[in-house]
Amino acid sequence: MIKAQDLRKNYGENVAVDGLSFQIAAGETFGLLGPNGAGKTTTISMLVGLLAPDSGTVEVGDASPGESDPTHPKVRTLIGIAPQSLSLYEDLTAKENLRFFGQLYGLSGGHLNERVTWALEFAELNDRKNDRVKTYSGGMKRRLNIAVALIHEPRILLLDEPTVGVDPQSRNHIFESIHRLQKQGMTILYTTHYMEEAQRLCDRVAIVDQGKLLALDSVSGLIANHGGTSVVKAELMGSADPQLVESLHGGSLEGSTVRFESDRPLEQVAELTSKGMQFSTLNIAQPDLESVFLALTGRSLRDG
Amino acid sequence: MNRILKMAMKDLKLLLRDKMGAFFIIGFPILMGLFFGLIMGNMGSTGGGGSQMRICIVDQDNSSLSQKFIESFQQNESVELKEMADLETARESVRKGQRVAMLVLTEGFGETAGVFWGEAPTIQIGADPSRAAESAMLQGFVMEAIGSLAGSRFQDQDLMNDFLEKSRQDLEDNESISVANRLLMKTFLGSVEGMVESIDALQTESDESSAAPGGEEGFQFANIEAIDVTRTIDPKSQRGQVMKMKSRWDVSFPQAMMWGVLACCAGFAISIAQERTQGTLTRLQVAPVSKFEIIGGKALACFISVIAVIALMTVLGIQLGMRPKNFPLLILAAVCVSFCFVGIMMVMSVLGKTEQSVNGAGWAINMVMAMLGGCMIPVMFMPQFMQSLSVVSPIRWAILSIEGAIWRDFSFTEMLLPCGILLAIGASGVAVGVQVLKRTT
Ligand SMILES: Nc1ncnc2c1ncn2[C@@H]1O[C@H](COP(=O)(O)OP(=O)(O)O)[C@@H](O)[C@H]1O
Ligand SMILES: [Mg+2]
Repeated sequence: MIKAQDLRKNYGENVAVDGLSFQIAAGETFGLLGPNGAGKTTTISMLVGLLAPDSGTVEVGDASPGESDPTHPKVRTLIGIAPQSLSLYEDLTAKENLRFFGQLYGLSGGHLNERVTWALEFAELNDRKNDRVKTYSGGMKRRLNIAVALIHEPRILLLDEPTVGVDPQSRNHIFESIHRLQKQGMTILYTTHYMEEAQRLCDRVAIVDQGKLLALDSVSGLIANHGGTSVVKAELMGSADPQLVESLHGGSLEGSTVRFESDRPLEQVAELTSKGMQFSTLNIAQPDLESVFLALTGRSLRDG
Repeated sequence: MNRILKMAMKDLKLLLRDKMGAFFIIGFPILMGLFFGLIMGNMGSTGGGGSQMRICIVDQDNSSLSQKFIESFQQNESVELKEMADLETARESVRKGQRVAMLVLTEGFGETAGVFWGEAPTIQIGADPSRAAESAMLQGFVMEAIGSLAGSRFQDQDLMNDFLEKSRQDLEDNESISVANRLLMKTFLGSVEGMVESIDALQTESDESSAAPGGEEGFQFANIEAIDVTRTIDPKSQRGQVMKMKSRWDVSFPQAMMWGVLACCAGFAISIAQERTQGTLTRLQVAPVSKFEIIGGKALACFISVIAVIALMTVLGIQLGMRPKNFPLLILAAVCVSFCFVGIMMVMSVLGKTEQSVNGAGWAINMVMAMLGGCMIPVMFMPQFMQSLSVVSPIRWAILSIEGAIWRDFSFTEMLLPCGILLAIGASGVAVGVQVLKRTT
């Protein structure tokens, strides 16, 4: 559905996107995970034709190459975008915003009404539909921002950090809506700097930093290849054979605390128990996308 | 085209919902129009000459209702009414041209003019045949007098002053008003003083020059034969221009319209910047809508609102007694003014990236155009060098074209100069706007 090839964009001296290439298949949820300033928004802007790349190409949709430029009107109707910065008329109501943007895509009459009703339900804003957007909470605005992106029934949805500044309840609502869309076969590009979100929602994740693609795979693939091993920490009941602990990968014994690394932590814990070790507490830290990012960049995602 | 229309409708809706914006487009101009109109009105009644229609009335009915009618008619400040005892004297005064027209309330007026004038009472009007325009106007006044005294409320100067003072207080208390708009208000209040002074000066001057006749029939003012008198007075001179005015609102309303027009112009320029800062421009750009449709929507909305402001002020002016001479030319002027300021709006919109910067730059330009163009002190009351300087302001030509249609009695050919200039400015503005748009992605 989307094919980006060697995209580059500079802002003066500052390289925002540095040779990104990826493809997104129809029906797939694709994550762009990276800290603030990684170039996610710039990438999305190039995908929808808001920004012209300095070099590289973008193809969207499954039509012939001549009709896959993102600025082509046919392609535009395929795409729905929920920009990172809210893009709503604060002095219009939810309903009026939806109607207006629907009309821009050529919707009218009964079909427009149907879509507006659908979108209001989707965003759970039915009881506030006639209030001006400026009276909404951050979460309500975010939900509406996504609903507006969907008003014209696009086949591709681009969500740029849709959970920023959102209360936990709205956040869950957004996740559930995305699951619904996934079931309907929507192609989704989801950018975030929260690794939990990428892990939870995305089929495949591209990890980007400073405009560069560092790794691209399924979540489990990324963790298997870059996440390293699980870390097991356990409190002993009674004593342990120091030699047995030493023999474990990265094993150490400090007082009654045993620590070791393992690719198959549960099995190894079972083995140790069978050899007579008894544990009062057990803590297994499995690698996640955070560890993948740390392994790839030497920095933590959260530090930016 | 459909999309342009939808976008324009959306913008007009947003405009009406923005209280501050609506105040500057509608409230402020109305205040200006009323305020300056009141100042002008005082000038007219003490000797501007020509601004009052001299008529006489014969009351053959002599009922309390006919007296009430005369009383309410006397409140109409565009008319100088004299009651005469018999038909013959009245007819004579019209024949001699001392009075423009005579009104006769025939016997039974009080009866036909029932409680709510269920059936229209008969009033005879005998008018000087060479004064068709005035007699048409007079008919309007008669209807007005019969209708109600509501208009008099607007003419209460104390009420006006209170209202002004209160609005000013409100504005000062309102912290959301930007620096530029606050400055605008201050400048306005300052300019009122200047205006009063310049008109005072004119008043003393005309008092001296019109102190002629007196005596017979109670002539206190220059004879209404204003059109004849203009032969000896250069029609281009200040006095010559004042002679042509028919109503105290003739100058103040075209001026006031311009404040509304300027506010539309700045308002839509700001709204373009606002689409950018609030992110909605992103959505417009990713929708299957071209850049030209986006800017076209703004231009159309601006055009419609300028026309609406002019129409609204015209209607209000007519309610108060302004009598536009030529409606087709007024429509022509309104269209040219709208187009001109759509062009200026487009240039203004690219002067800054944020609402604040466009607002600041926009109103700075507006103030210069307004001051030079006669939005504060009418061009004809300006010192000579200022009058020459004023040709650079689009406002001057806008006011001239509108006044040309309302009271200057311009022919179509005379309208061509101001209208042509307005269209040329508008076209250059649109060209600049489109050029800038082409260069930005
Ligand atoms: N309009 C712009 N002008 C200059 N630099 C920009 C602009 N937009 C983004 N950048 C820079 O490009 C880089 C990538 O930004 P962005 O794409 O917004 O990252 P992200 O969305 O991942 O947080 C950042 O260093 C940012 O400062
Ligand atoms: Mg971003």
